[in-house]
Amino acid sequence: MARENPNPNPTVLESLGEEIIRIVAPVSACMLLVVLLVTALSSDGGGGRGFSSIVTIAYSEDASDSIWDKLKDALGYSLVFVVLITLLTFLLVLLFYLRCTRFLKSYMAFSSFVVLGFLGGEVLLLLISRFYLLIDVVTFSLLLFNFSVVGVMAVFLSKVPILVNQGYLVIIGVLVAYWFTLLPEWTTWALLIAMSLYDLAAVLLPVGPLKLLVELAISRDEELPALVYEARPVEQHRPVVGRRLWRERRDLVINSSSNLIGTEAGGMTSQHTSVVVAEEGPSVSTVTDPLLQHQPGMDRGEDAEGIGLGSSGAIKLGLGDFIFYSVLVGRAALYDFMTVYACYLAIMAGLGVTLLLLAVYRKALPALPVSIALGILFYLLTRASLEMFIVQCSTNLLMF
Amino acid sequence: MERRGEAIDEEQGLIGRRPGSGAAGVAEVTPVRRTWPTVDGPHGLSEDESHAYARSYFYWGFALLPFLWAVNCCYFWPVLRKSHPSPRVRPYVMRSAIGFTIFAVVLATWSLTFIIGGERLFGPIWNDLVMYNLADKLGLTGWT
Repeated sequence: MARENPNPNPTVLESLGEEIIRIVAPVSACMLLVVLLVTALSSDGGGGRGFSSIVTIAYSEDASDSIWDKLKDALGYSLVFVVLITLLTFLLVLLFYLRCTRFLKSYMAFSSFVVLGFLGGEVLLLLISRFYLLIDVVTFSLLLFNFSVVGVMAVFLSKVPILVNQGYLVIIGVLVAYWFTLLPEWTTWALLIAMSLYDLAAVLLPVGPLKLLVELAISRDEELPALVYEARPVEQHRPVVGRRLWRERRDLVINSSSNLIGTEAGGMTSQHTSVVVAEEGPSVSTVTDPLLQHQPGMDRGEDAEGIGLGSSGAIKLGLGDFIFYSVLVGRAALYDFMTVYACYLAIMAGLGVTLLLLAVYRKALPALPVSIALGILFYLLTRASLEMFIVQCSTNLLMF
Repeated sequence: MERRGEAIDEEQGLIGRRPGSGAAGVAEVTPVRRTWPTVDGPHGLSEDESHAYARSYFYWGFALLPFLWAVNCCYFWPVLRKSHPSPRVRPYVMRSAIGFTIFAVVLATWSLTFIIGGERLFGPIWNDLVMYNLADKLGLTGWT
């Protein structure tokens, strides 16, 4: 079959760009939903009084506290949280080491059900009360029940369409992130900083629990039962139909090599292609490419943090990252939309840098520190300088 | 060069003649149309798994879970649209589609009656059934 070859090598923009879009789009969707929820439901625009009575047993924030008191409370609370998370992650490592996978899976299914059913129901009730939507109890309970059960099945128990799985992961991220934005302000910021430091330590230090988890998972060649978002490989949109079959296969390989590398280094591409050729396996999952690593983790023992490469070459991002990015943007939304835009751009820049580092170092990396650092920096800069500038310009009808 | 190609073959069964590597393979491929039973295409399920999943989703849908019927329809969309012939999966998907349609119609009817009829139709019990009143009464939103 004589046939010209239109474009056997997709440009870097096509393959790399689409790969990045597939991880940026759900993160942006999660942040957008959290911002919408926060702006729709925030009444006192600061911290929930009721919430703090449930969670912050020993600490509570008051508007009349001095800055030092607030800082002390915030640091105390975030320290408690980080210690709790560390203990839970070590517990997870222990359970995984003892091969209690069924217990872990059922615990995670149960906690997803709680998040989707109770938190989701709570958020829906808040929306209904706020907007006086006319829904009766029968419809509401039936829909909520269906939604939660299908969600649990989609995330953990069985196979569903990939879009459904990804959608439910984003929804879980949105719900948990909204719950976190109900914390008092200083506590939220302290928590974000503490979690990024924890993430950095837990993934990179040799004694860190996340590193132990990753090594255990690799040595046993198993998947951790954790909430991880996996972007689809770029090949998905190409229909593998006969006429173009041979070309698709070559493209698939080129795409997967460029997935794993992430940047345009041409020499590395050819080297990696030869690695792929050398390791022929009966199925994708058993190709033990040294570049492919899992990055699972904690956050109440169920979410995962850090970024890594999935077994099919797709980028995997832990749900904890979704949650904390959205918490930062949601907290920025409680101040003004200006900070939202600034923090969103900062987080995307941080994510890009993390992906670049992932391509360079090719092992599991913490995705929180860079983005959270940039996000907080831009939030402070916006509040300190940009806001004044924009307000002055607007009131003098100079711009905007 | 064969990694992804082999994976597809292993999952779905032999497609057709496998092309050789490089430029020589161009002339050897026979045009064979390959479809998959699931909407995920090559990343989805194989025939046997599709049958098992379609059946279990159909039966579990009777446990007050019509969303599972919707998931069934979405997942096996190629089977529903007849672009992938699968005589074992199709009856379950068809019945799931019918079941979900019936459920949607019934729920929509009830819901619209509730919304449009309002207090005029139901009387004072409407205030007990509507969700925001119930949430206030039970204090479900009180803790936030």
